[in-house]
Amino acid sequence: MRRRSTLPAIVNVAVFILLEIASLYLLRHNTELQGAWITRMSNGFKSVIWGGSESVSDFFALKGTNNRLANDNYLLQQEVLRLQDYIRNARIDTMKVRSSAGFTMIPAEVVKMSRNKQHNYIILNRGYEDGVKEKSGIITREGVIGIVDAVSARHAYALSFQNNDLSISARLGESGGSGLLVWDGKGSRGAILKELPLQSKYSPGDTVFTSGHSLIFPPDIPLGTAGNAKIVNGATKEISVTLFQEFKAIRYAIIVHNNSLEEVEEFLK
Amino acid sequence: MTANNFWRAYALVFIAQLLLSNYFDFAPWITATLLPAMILCLPLTLSTAAAMVIAFLTGLGVDFLADGAIGLNALALVPVALARNGILELVLGQEIITRKKQFNFRRNGFGPVALAVVLALAIFLTVYVWASTAGTRSFWFCLGYFWASVPFSLVFSLLAVRALAPTDIR
Repeated sequence: MRRRSTLPAIVNVAVFILLEIASLYLLRHNTELQGAWITRMSNGFKSVIWGGSESVSDFFALKGTNNRLANDNYLLQQEVLRLQDYIRNARIDTMKVRSSAGFTMIPAEVVKMSRNKQHNYIILNRGYEDGVKEKSGIITREGVIGIVDAVSARHAYALSFQNNDLSISARLGESGGSGLLVWDGKGSRGAILKELPLQSKYSPGDTVFTSGHSLIFPPDIPLGTAGNAKIVNGATKEISVTLFQEFKAIRYAIIVHNNSLEEVEEFLK
Repeated sequence: MTANNFWRAYALVFIAQLLLSNYFDFAPWITATLLPAMILCLPLTLSTAAAMVIAFLTGLGVDFLADGAIGLNALALVPVALARNGILELVLGQEIITRKKQFNFRRNGFGPVALAVVLALAIFLTVYVWASTAGTRSFWFCLGYFWASVPFSLVFSLLAVRALAPTDIR
């Protein structure tokens, strides 16, 4: 029988443990690292190299894209008018400003979006020079698509809704129970509304909205329609949701930032 | 194949993996990877510890340049490097380890080499799926993810082995 030396085996095991710990550390602190220079460099590479190829497919979808963009512009203008009106009223009634400050909206183009993993991301062509801040939501007129995680001068890196790390506070129907909406990990329109109270009443086909509890997204954005329900561990209800947003079709988005987010976070410290 | 040619081919397969990570958009529950095959093809003159370091750096490179979660490929690839000698010894025989001879399709046959690649893929995908889903998906989802990814990855991996399998690195 061939004799095996013990020392190389110990070295191998030590190196193995060391490298696995390093990998786990990187994986565990992935989101924190997004803000660091190393991730900004990574994002820059991804947006320059892989973003170039996206522009080819964008070219062939120009007509539909222009129509959607025109529609989005129209909705944005309406939103601006509504906000301007809101600010005007708020100046008169300062108490009202304190109770419900508004959201800043920035239109952006999707430079790169991955859809083929369990941890997908989006890179947008707006950065801190355009006023984009971390922890901003990303929406389209058909729902919520992600949350900005790191910002460089001209790009924003966001966790896609199609990411295991992301959950959105959502509400069932106009006045139903609230829960967490997460991606189902399978398709581009599948989601699960989790941790709903057992007593929540609903009918299949009810619309799911953002609840507004998270401070990241404005309330009442329609997200999708409710499907079948099941009870989990006898304690909560879980409902399948079909999203309105088809992720494969996303070219443009709106970055929304809660103007009072920093103030509330400071308050909670 | 000389050592220089091997590392040139290794770099090209690495770039192919980056392209695959970005453009293989079949479904989010299927992943196509060449990485285990790359590690399996590393010259056997390299120690296991060196292979693990190369696996870590290769995985981290893919995470950094193409994948979403930094550390995920590195985490899954290091165990493949640790098990590399064991897999080759088990499937291709002890001689390949003692004589440090590189395997290839012509010398060892398509079946045994494919089996070695499948075993390496199994180790990689087990860790990758487990870490990627991070307890948020059911066991059956993870199993489906694993089994769906094996055949897709195997096809690409065999092409990578064909490009990388050296015959006389010393």
